[in-house]
Amino acid sequence: MKDEELSILLALNALRQFNGHLINDLKCKSVSLLDLAASPSAIREFTRSESVIQRWYEMLSKGWHFRELERCRAKGIEILVWGEEGYPSSLDRLSDPPLLLYWWGNNPRLDKAAVALVGTRRCSNYGGKVAFELAFKMAEEGFPIVSGGAYGIDARAHRGALEAGGVSLSVFGTGVDVFYPAKNETLFEGLKEKGALVSEYPLGTKGMPWNFPERNRIIVGLAEVVVVVEAPIKSGAMITGRIAMECGVELWAVPGRINEGVARGSNLLIFDGAYPLIDVDSFVHLMKGSPEGFLVKGQSEVSLAELDDGERRVYGLLREKGDRTVDNISLECKMTPAQVFTMLTKLESRGLVSATGPGRWGANAFMEGEKGVG
Amino acid sequence: MNRIYGLTLRGIDALPVEVEVCVTGGLFSISIVGLADTAVKEARERVRIALGTLGIKLKGHIAVNLAPADLPKEGALLDLPMAVGIAREAGFIPKDVSGIFMGELALDGRLRKVKGGVPAAFLSREMGLPLFIPRGNAQEASMVQGVEVYSCSNIAELFSHLRGESRLKKLDFSLPEAKVVEVEPDFADIKGHVAAKRGMEIAAAGHHNLALIGAPGSGKTMLAKALRGILPPLSDEELIEVMRIRSARGASIEVERARPFRPVHHTASVVALCGGGSDLRPGEISLAHRGVLFLDEITEFRRDVLEALRQPLEDGCITVSRAAGSVVYPASVLLVTASNPCPCGYLGDSARNCTCSPGDIERYSRKLSGPILDRIDLRLQIPRLTPDELLELDGTGESSFEIRQRVIKARELQIERWSSFGVKCNAELSENMIKKHLGLSKNGRAFLKSLGAAFKLTGRGFSRVLKVARTIADLAGDKTVDEPHLAEALAYRGGFFFER
Repeated sequence: MKDEELSILLALNALRQFNGHLINDLKCKSVSLLDLAASPSAIREFTRSESVIQRWYEMLSKGWHFRELERCRAKGIEILVWGEEGYPSSLDRLSDPPLLLYWWGNNPRLDKAAVALVGTRRCSNYGGKVAFELAFKMAEEGFPIVSGGAYGIDARAHRGALEAGGVSLSVFGTGVDVFYPAKNETLFEGLKEKGALVSEYPLGTKGMPWNFPERNRIIVGLAEVVVVVEAPIKSGAMITGRIAMECGVELWAVPGRINEGVARGSNLLIFDGAYPLIDVDSFVHLMKGSPEGFLVKGQSEVSLAELDDGERRVYGLLREKGDRTVDNISLECKMTPAQVFTMLTKLESRGLVSATGPGRWGANAFMEGEKGVG
Repeated sequence: MNRIYGLTLRGIDALPVEVEVCVTGGLFSISIVGLADTAVKEARERVRIALGTLGIKLKGHIAVNLAPADLPKEGALLDLPMAVGIAREAGFIPKDVSGIFMGELALDGRLRKVKGGVPAAFLSREMGLPLFIPRGNAQEASMVQGVEVYSCSNIAELFSHLRGESRLKKLDFSLPEAKVVEVEPDFADIKGHVAAKRGMEIAAAGHHNLALIGAPGSGKTMLAKALRGILPPLSDEELIEVMRIRSARGASIEVERARPFRPVHHTASVVALCGGGSDLRPGEISLAHRGVLFLDEITEFRRDVLEALRQPLEDGCITVSRAAGSVVYPASVLLVTASNPCPCGYLGDSARNCTCSPGDIERYSRKLSGPILDRIDLRLQIPRLTPDELLELDGTGESSFEIRQRVIKARELQIERWSSFGVKCNAELSENMIKKHLGLSKNGRAFLKSLGAAFKLTGRGFSRVLKVARTIADLAGDKTVDEPHLAEALAYRGGFFFER
């Protein structure tokens, strides 16, 4: 596609009025992109909104579309256009596929089914751990991960994928060059290296509240399977779940405690027919298409051989009985607090336990990779 | 020449003020010159009436000069030297009387207690002159060795001594017993919190600054208050330092060996905390000298207030400079801060949900970190106990007294080890001393190397861990710093809140 045509498409996309089907409409009415630019009033065939038409004139007369293309080129951002090569065909399952995508990253081809992991920004420790573990193990098996860019579940999922050396895509509700939240900048830089930042919005678009639900359809569109890790009733992840159900994308949800608001939405999805994700390893096996049934493998047991006696006692207690304060550990393991602190540090350095609250410790679900909370 | 001196206070020092009196003929009047404040000027009525109770009738024009003329003088403590000067000039007491006098006169001739007894005693020792003070100041002044101090309850008693009619008894040098009166709350009264108690024992033993982080109601304030009960008693030298500051400020003087504990509210200003004002008052940090300065809700403090604390925390003293001059106050404190883990306080709580947004928590933790946090070696996390956990724990623990004995022992080891370096405790160690003289074992070094990477420790983080580990080893009586000491020290770095 010629640069001029591409820039005209950028302008059309920036009107936020058209989706991928416009390309077909143009073909049907045998209007080429260049025609549209040559006689701007031809746009009236496709929209009746005067304000949109006004903006269209303005953009063309000011040459905004050329500058936008230059900016993309300067940053190395690719433009994937509907119906052209490189545009992920899975997006066609959507009733409203984006006209084009800004794609900033290494352009990893989505040759393998991607898994979308979504959830709340304010996740519980448990939710964060599950997101990390899921992403880590899926990425290890070569599945790309798709998610948003927010704190909480999104960030944990991306971190898991990156730490496993896998591919992860972050779909933005802003322009791909607007990092929101800014605190996740290093994460986004990492994603640019190993995966991609994706958006349908023109560069520099600020994060308007309505952009994020709209963007959720792209997350669903890019993925083969959507997993809602943890979401309250009113949340973006619930919208993502609904979209997945509407366009027939396989939907999973991680069960949460029923007395906590943070998992009410994801639990509701299970009630509504989403598959409950009750074991990470089995889920991975299933995605790989292994013939084994669900829950064939027991929980992966940590090799306790390398732990000394005290470490084993503390770890065993946390593993079996859940989170504990140092006081309670010292009481139940019959150790002095000094000894307990020593054991906890050693176990933490092995990635076996982590702090779950002020002065409270819990066993980690799995061994590899994870370091620290965040 | 026999001179009569009074004194005025500047910071924790007493400066001599010479009182000169000249009587000339004419109608009766008293005029006072020499940059005197209102309290000093008003002395003329108190002096006239007090001398009147002794039957002394003043005549003529009396000029009182307070020298040096350019030193501002303040307070009623100059009443007595002026009265003595006038009485001497009028011939009621012998001409050869000299000494340093201090005290406020009541209209019936009694002497009222004033501030500054301890600095006055130091001045008297320096000048080699006897000191005469109100009886109310006797106890504090008697704590300074090698001074000739007399205390009297009224001016009649003093004059009869000066006339040689009856002798006042010289005060004996006396220090209170080197024993701490147990303070409330005792560690034995605090239920559970064994982990926190252990951390506080280490903080007390190595004089490490301490941060307490936990949900509202988890017991942070109570623990902070109990800390001073396990600190070693003030040494003679420290006791005098503390008394000197208290005396100069006129704070009620309780002579005790327990270290000061000064809680500061988060609305405090820089002046309130660090000292200043037109009269160059000492701030809370100086009043907490040799004791505990407790900043509750540290995140609520104004940024500039916390910034101002940096230098004194580093140097152990603070220079207060104003138009009126500048004064150096000692300010060597053990800093204890308390804070919630997030704005609502329930981040990571087992029973309640945190209602803060991630952005709120982010901003909050940025407040927590920064300049002050760098100077805090120990970060303790205080869990809020669930009712079940509370019931499971038994209340009987060690008393403050027992813990204090261990702390004192550990301190002795430190003094022995570091005395040649001019350092008293592990918290004060410099980078160089940590590197060369810490006594880190080979195993310990390897262990720290492997864990430092896992925990992403910074340079400062390393030295904090090493200092705390040294104290843990001292508490155990171990010569070298080894793996278990380091592992325990690493648990106090507050990773959950500060290294996200």
